[in-house]
Amino acid sequence: MAANMRGLTQFIADIRGARVRELEEKRINKEMANIRKKFKDGNLDGYQKKKYVAKIIFTYILGYKVDIGHLEAVNLISSSKYSEKQIGYLAVTLLMHENSDFLRLVVNSIRKDLDENNEVHNCLALHAIANVGSSEMAEALAEDVHRLLISPTSMTFVKKKAALTLLRIYRKRPEVIPAAEWALRLVSLMDDQDLGVVLCVTSLIMALAQDHPDAYAVCYTKAVDRLHRIVIEHEYSGIYTYYKVPAPWLQVKLLRLLQYYPPTEDTTLKNVLNETLQIIMTSSAEPSRNVQHNNAQNAVLFEAISLAIHLDTRSPLVDTAAVLLARFISSKETNVRYLGLDTMAHLAARSDTLEPLKKHQGTIILSLRDKDISVRRRALDLLYSMCDIDNSELIVGELLRYLKVADYVLREEMVLKIAILTEKYACSYKWYVDTILQLISAAGDHVGEEVWYRVVQIVTNTEDLQEYAARVVFEYLKTPSAHESLVKVGGYILGEYGHLIANEPGYSPLEQFQALHSKSQFCVAPTRSLLLSTYIKWVNVFPEIKSQLINIFERYRHVLDAELQQRACEYYALACLPDDNEMLQNVCEEMPPFPPRVSGLTSRLNRKMADTEDKRTWIHGGREMNLEQQMTTLMRSKQAEVPVNESTTASGAADSTMFNALAGLNLTMPSEAGESGAIPRLTVGPSIDKWYKKLTYSAEGVLYEDVQIQIGIKSRFQGYLGQLAIYFGNKVSAPLTSFTSTVYVSDSEAISATFAKIPANILASRTQSQQLLQVECKKVFTAIPILTVSFLAGAHQSISIRLPITVTKFFEGVKFGQADFFERWKLIGGSPRESQVVFPIALDAAGHIDLPHNRRIVSGNHFEILDGIDPNPNNIVGAAVLHTSVDGKVGCLLRLEPNREAKLCRLTVRSTSEEVAAEVQRLMEAALRTE
Amino acid sequence: MIHAVLIFNTSGIPRLTKFYTPLHQSSQTVVQKIFSLISVRPAGLCNFLDAPELEAFLGPKDDSNERWRVVYRNYATLYFVFVVDGAESELGILDLIQVFVEALDRSFENVCELDLVFHFDEVHHILAEIIQGGLVLETNVEEINLSVKSALKARKDSFVSSHPLALGSGGSRNGGLQTHLNWLTDRLTGVSGR
Repeated sequence: MAANMRGLTQFIADIRGARVRELEEKRINKEMANIRKKFKDGNLDGYQKKKYVAKIIFTYILGYKVDIGHLEAVNLISSSKYSEKQIGYLAVTLLMHENSDFLRLVVNSIRKDLDENNEVHNCLALHAIANVGSSEMAEALAEDVHRLLISPTSMTFVKKKAALTLLRIYRKRPEVIPAAEWALRLVSLMDDQDLGVVLCVTSLIMALAQDHPDAYAVCYTKAVDRLHRIVIEHEYSGIYTYYKVPAPWLQVKLLRLLQYYPPTEDTTLKNVLNETLQIIMTSSAEPSRNVQHNNAQNAVLFEAISLAIHLDTRSPLVDTAAVLLARFISSKETNVRYLGLDTMAHLAARSDTLEPLKKHQGTIILSLRDKDISVRRRALDLLYSMCDIDNSELIVGELLRYLKVADYVLREEMVLKIAILTEKYACSYKWYVDTILQLISAAGDHVGEEVWYRVVQIVTNTEDLQEYAARVVFEYLKTPSAHESLVKVGGYILGEYGHLIANEPGYSPLEQFQALHSKSQFCVAPTRSLLLSTYIKWVNVFPEIKSQLINIFERYRHVLDAELQQRACEYYALACLPDDNEMLQNVCEEMPPFPPRVSGLTSRLNRKMADTEDKRTWIHGGREMNLEQQMTTLMRSKQAEVPVNESTTASGAADSTMFNALAGLNLTMPSEAGESGAIPRLTVGPSIDKWYKKLTYSAEGVLYEDVQIQIGIKSRFQGYLGQLAIYFGNKVSAPLTSFTSTVYVSDSEAISATFAKIPANILASRTQSQQLLQVECKKVFTAIPILTVSFLAGAHQSISIRLPITVTKFFEGVKFGQADFFERWKLIGGSPRESQVVFPIALDAAGHIDLPHNRRIVSGNHFEILDGIDPNPNNIVGAAVLHTSVDGKVGCLLRLEPNREAKLCRLTVRSTSEEVAAEVQRLMEAALRTE
Repeated sequence: MIHAVLIFNTSGIPRLTKFYTPLHQSSQTVVQKIFSLISVRPAGLCNFLDAPELEAFLGPKDDSNERWRVVYRNYATLYFVFVVDGAESELGILDLIQVFVEALDRSFENVCELDLVFHFDEVHHILAEIIQGGLVLETNVEEINLSVKSALKARKDSFVSSHPLALGSGGSRNGGLQTHLNWLTDRLTGVSGR
């Protein structure tokens, strides 16, 4: 566009022609002055405004500060001409930032462009919100953006932009997006035909799922399914292959998304995922000649390895990955070495055993001397992560050696890491003290305060160490070039524990004093104050050098520094007290041990910010650190779900220490807030309960039906296993797309229900599809699994219904003779292992007890009906045994006594398990009772 | 997330600067800082660089895992630089740079530095079809090209409607640009670096 604005082209040419920077600045100032004048005079038409704004943009791009043209840009946005509008939007996104006051002026224009029936205008508006959207804008426009995203008539390129814009809005103002409510609808977009849309929607879902993992849980299946379709079924449109790699960005995104969830429990998903990862790893084994192809393939591969590590560090996949990584870290390509080390650090951070990595320790240590600083950094991170008690001396030794030649920018971090490793994996105190002092003397300026604080803490709290520490630090002080940090450590330790070594030759009080005091003149005031404190301690324990010390206090009483002067005066007074005064002794008591506290070092390394940004899924450091990290994230997410109006959290959330204290509380609290969000709300309808009730005592039938869809069930149970064939029939003349079915089980310890394979996501018009659900009863359960079906048929629909999987489905009838039955009946005895209830029942048309119906229900609940035990033929007696895979078998007996006159029925259930008795009584009553 | 997209030449003169995160200092100093970090790196080193130095400009990233990372690629006289955080795949970004360059190439037919100078607005429009608000919008060169073309068409239409008597189309860069470049070459010969 610049091309057809001659003035602009001329301006650019002039600037390019400027031989020195002064000339360029001069030309720009002239132009800006001219533009300012034109703007002031007003009366500009659209073209002129566009031209001047374009010049301003160009100036901005050159790196000059521009402070004019904002208002004109705002005007251009509301122009009806696309060319002017486009420049206006460009200026707004470049010149303004989200807090700019001018943005208030464009909200209405943006809304107008969003609502317009013109896709290119929609796109400009979306793009502007995504780039500079403020929280105010987020609040005003969230609804419009959401509408563009989910509207079935939106073009794909609008949907893509809308998805990312919604993400921006969410990051700015999470509360304007009802994330949980929109979950199913948004996740359904992951089934879009267009892989570009899927990519953008996945970015959005990734952010939302991190904050609302339960509501978005179904995205896990979607992601696995999509990966499977891309990698194994090769189901993608050709234009999305990039140098022969199918949709690498999408693959990477999906693999990353899966790492934000804990490893799945669902065996079907697990198998599909393993198969997919396996294929990715084997197909990447042979590198090709094309750089682009290799890059894309490796991008997917590295992410796949990360996911494999995340899923299970003990899986054969990870073994394969470890072999690949070992090859990568000695690759000729620097990028591959870099990523190999990075991913290996991930493995080290998660793995229970570091043995496979230690085989490559030599190569890794060598990487510390790589020619590229990026690689050196990764090697450092990896060594830090793979250090343990066995190799700590070696690794720390290497790091110390490397520290002396390391890049300036790396040193501070290295010092911190060495200090942490030394403390964590010290096998002897002696080694700890030696290493840390060596570290301080070698790194000098790069030693942060927290490093020497920590040494002092540890020495003070470890009695065995004090004498040794005092001796070593004294040796260091005798060297001519002891660093100031060392002087501080020396000052503190000799002051406290110098007396422990004072009797040995060469460590006399006078020698200690001379060694320390000779350094004093090179130190800054705070260090000298510390030394004064050391001296007053010495006055107490070393009377032989008291006169020298008093001399020093005397001199310092006249220095200009207020702190020094005050200390000197006070210490002087203290030292000059008569000998029998106990004051000095009391003041100079030995320091009590520090209260045990977490090392300040790691927290310094891993400070976290709580915001809505995507996080890495692991941190550098060993396995324990990662576990800790997961705990804190977990606590944070729990914290987030607890309603804010709760008095405890509201008061303390801002304060971080309070926050931590409360986080512990939240963990023990049943997190009702979290759970209620996850349980699907049951669909209600006149026949739903009837259908369900019928299916509780029959093996097949209709579970749900409306004008669009019919759901039928056929079931089979054998021991503690069951199989449900669920039939979905599409009754309308259009396909149901983004068809998703999930089963919600609240107590996965007691019962598991998984689909045998990932269901297809389209249900063609007037067809039926079948899905097999595998069920296993592990323990007695009372919570009924819930099936949620959602699909797009014009609008987004979702149905949640109970599945007819009750505990009695896992019963198997047993035949008893009269004697056996009564023996067991008595053995079990009454309450609490008996559960009894009386409830109204319906009679048949003739006014008799509906015996066939009752028998059907009892035998439908898998009881064996025992005839001839009860003398009354209307009564029913049954026996069964429950099969569970974890808790074994549980027997259960039942007696049903209907009374025609009272239209009532008494039900007695006895079982060796109280839970079973109560649950069976409840289920049978529900089936038999009449309202 | 992608926090910045920069293009500068081997003398450090910026040709494109786009920040998706508010800056703490002037963009020129950021470009200079990044240029000084990258230009000293010889070819053959990896395309990724941890840049804790950028904290002063883009805000602190205290966590060592969330560090600012620079992913860059050198094409002839130009450096293409993306500043990202830990949530992005490094190689993915490297590929994205390639996509960006291919998209520019598609639009400008053999893109060169001059195109970026004289069509800075167009470069931004193309970038807008690839990255939106710091997130990857589209990675497929064909799709990107289609979107760029549809915007171009909208611009042409609006030009024609406002200049009913104009001959040819003002928005077409091929017609207009060729003459402009020829017209400029004379003036530009002998002009160095800038």
